[in-house]
Amino acid sequence: MSRYYSAYNLTVASDIAMPELTTVQPVSDLTSDVTVRIGALPEKPSDDLEQIGPFRWANQTAYWLEIPEVARILVQNGSDILVDPAADVDEASLRAFVLGPSFGAILHQRNLLVMHGNTIRLGDKCIICVGPSGAGKSTLSAGFQRRGYQVLADDVVPITAEGLALPGFPRIKLWQETADQLEIDTSPLQRIRPQLFKYNVPVTDAYVGPALPVRWVYILNSEHRDDVRIDELRGMARLQPILDNTYSGRLVLGPAAKAQQLRMASQLAAKIRLARITRPLSGFTVDTMVDKILADIAEHP
Amino acid sequence: MGGIYWIASYPKSGNTWFRTFLENLQNGGDRPAHINELSGNSIASSRSWIDDVLGVETADLTFDEIERLRPAVYDWATTYDSVSYHKIHDANRLTSQGEPLISRRGTLGAVYILRNPLDVAPSLANHNGSTIDEAITALGNPDYALAGSEHRWHRQVRQVLGSWSGHVASWIDSPALTCHVLRYEDMHTAALESFAAAARFLKLPDAAERVAQAIRFSEFSVVAQQEAEVGFRERPSRAERFFRQGRAGGWQAQLTPQQVDRIIADHGPMMQRFGYLDASGAPV
Repeated sequence: MSRYYSAYNLTVASDIAMPELTTVQPVSDLTSDVTVRIGALPEKPSDDLEQIGPFRWANQTAYWLEIPEVARILVQNGSDILVDPAADVDEASLRAFVLGPSFGAILHQRNLLVMHGNTIRLGDKCIICVGPSGAGKSTLSAGFQRRGYQVLADDVVPITAEGLALPGFPRIKLWQETADQLEIDTSPLQRIRPQLFKYNVPVTDAYVGPALPVRWVYILNSEHRDDVRIDELRGMARLQPILDNTYSGRLVLGPAAKAQQLRMASQLAAKIRLARITRPLSGFTVDTMVDKILADIAEHP
Repeated sequence: MGGIYWIASYPKSGNTWFRTFLENLQNGGDRPAHINELSGNSIASSRSWIDDVLGVETADLTFDEIERLRPAVYDWATTYDSVSYHKIHDANRLTSQGEPLISRRGTLGAVYILRNPLDVAPSLANHNGSTIDEAITALGNPDYALAGSEHRWHRQVRQVLGSWSGHVASWIDSPALTCHVLRYEDMHTAALESFAAAARFLKLPDAAERVAQAIRFSEFSVVAQQEAEVGFRERPSRAERFFRQGRAGGWQAQLTPQQVDRIIADHGPMMQRFGYLDASGAPV
């Protein structure tokens, strides 16, 4: 039986319980934008999908992802996620790969520019911080939340052609060590997967509302240094960091899709304050980073 | 068709020196390559490499799941246009499913860089910010691993090294692997000959003049100067500097006789095999 949720301003009907998402009460005429179904998939993806990795295949409208011993997942038409679970796999593990790479593919198939980052609300606009795994995105989300800011999305950030960021769902993923540093008690929290020391930290005061204009984008970086610094990116240096921080950029196949992504990235670059924020490789600097970003925003409203 | 040549070693055995040499050899330029710009060929345990090929974040996978998927990541290198050279510190071992971690299909061969464990111990202590005795314990620990904490994110995935002797044997005694052994000490005392032989093994230019220039451009004084000027990205935060001494035989001034005895007790046979001990079992 389907349960109904809301994420990225889409209604999601799911066979899998998704406690991370905001629940929507089913009403008689409720239609879903995205369905998540459990079912059997064929042994192999169809021939019209191009193999883009040892465990994944894609074309413009379909994405087939295998996580051996967890699940095989087919994402199609920006609307359908079909999950074929491996024997004895737990639901949390399935959710981890539905909410991350599968939703990333759904949003990409819906022609959004999907960034790897987080979204923080600032009045009627928003801040996006991007970077690869381990750059400190979730830590920064938690840092902003601790200071009373609303976190719209953590990990997968879809942006419309008009430069608006869609709100995701209210959770932040934190490792045990980071939670300890932020003085967050993990004992009542759900783990991302039962095998991992990584937790779903619920977002308090979740944002519900329309997509917000992206005004500031910060590229997260780290190096051997003692302080946190911010450097504005100008001119030709602006486009590549945006492209480098798209979520699973390999899904953009073919010249037409590449051109579209380039166009969306350039349109975004033209509207935003774009800067690189560099923190020391060691030490816990999240509060300093929040301060630096807020100070930079005050100078560049 | 692509494939991987591994530049394999226990940590602190000259791997970065050799990679700097390779960069300079391939560039063939008139200036030394910079240590912070060694071309993007990732270490085998690089999360970004593995994540990019798998399409999922290894941060959402268990250590065992990651290990079982790594051979397929290296296999995928056969789809690349060209041969690539990747550093690796893992021992050459089997996954829990009995598959070689460095896949047979994706692997073209390995240069194994070997250094006297008497010199590795103080260097590892500096690298880890530990005491020399702790480093000696690590060298003898059959379960020694890097990035082994499950409670936090590491830039690299877990690498099981095992003991120093076990690490050496895993690479050089692997029947299925074409392996070229390069002794760190020979890189000092017979530089041209040993670097040229390694270049030949890797099917790279081995003309004496070009090899000699690449050796000059990767000398300790050059890379240490570069680190002093702008720092080295790969330096661990616990170590004051990455390029510390860059010489062979430093142990004589750094180890106590008891520490030397401990290392020989742990690794005597392998040390003897590679000329680090004489016939009577005394350090050379």
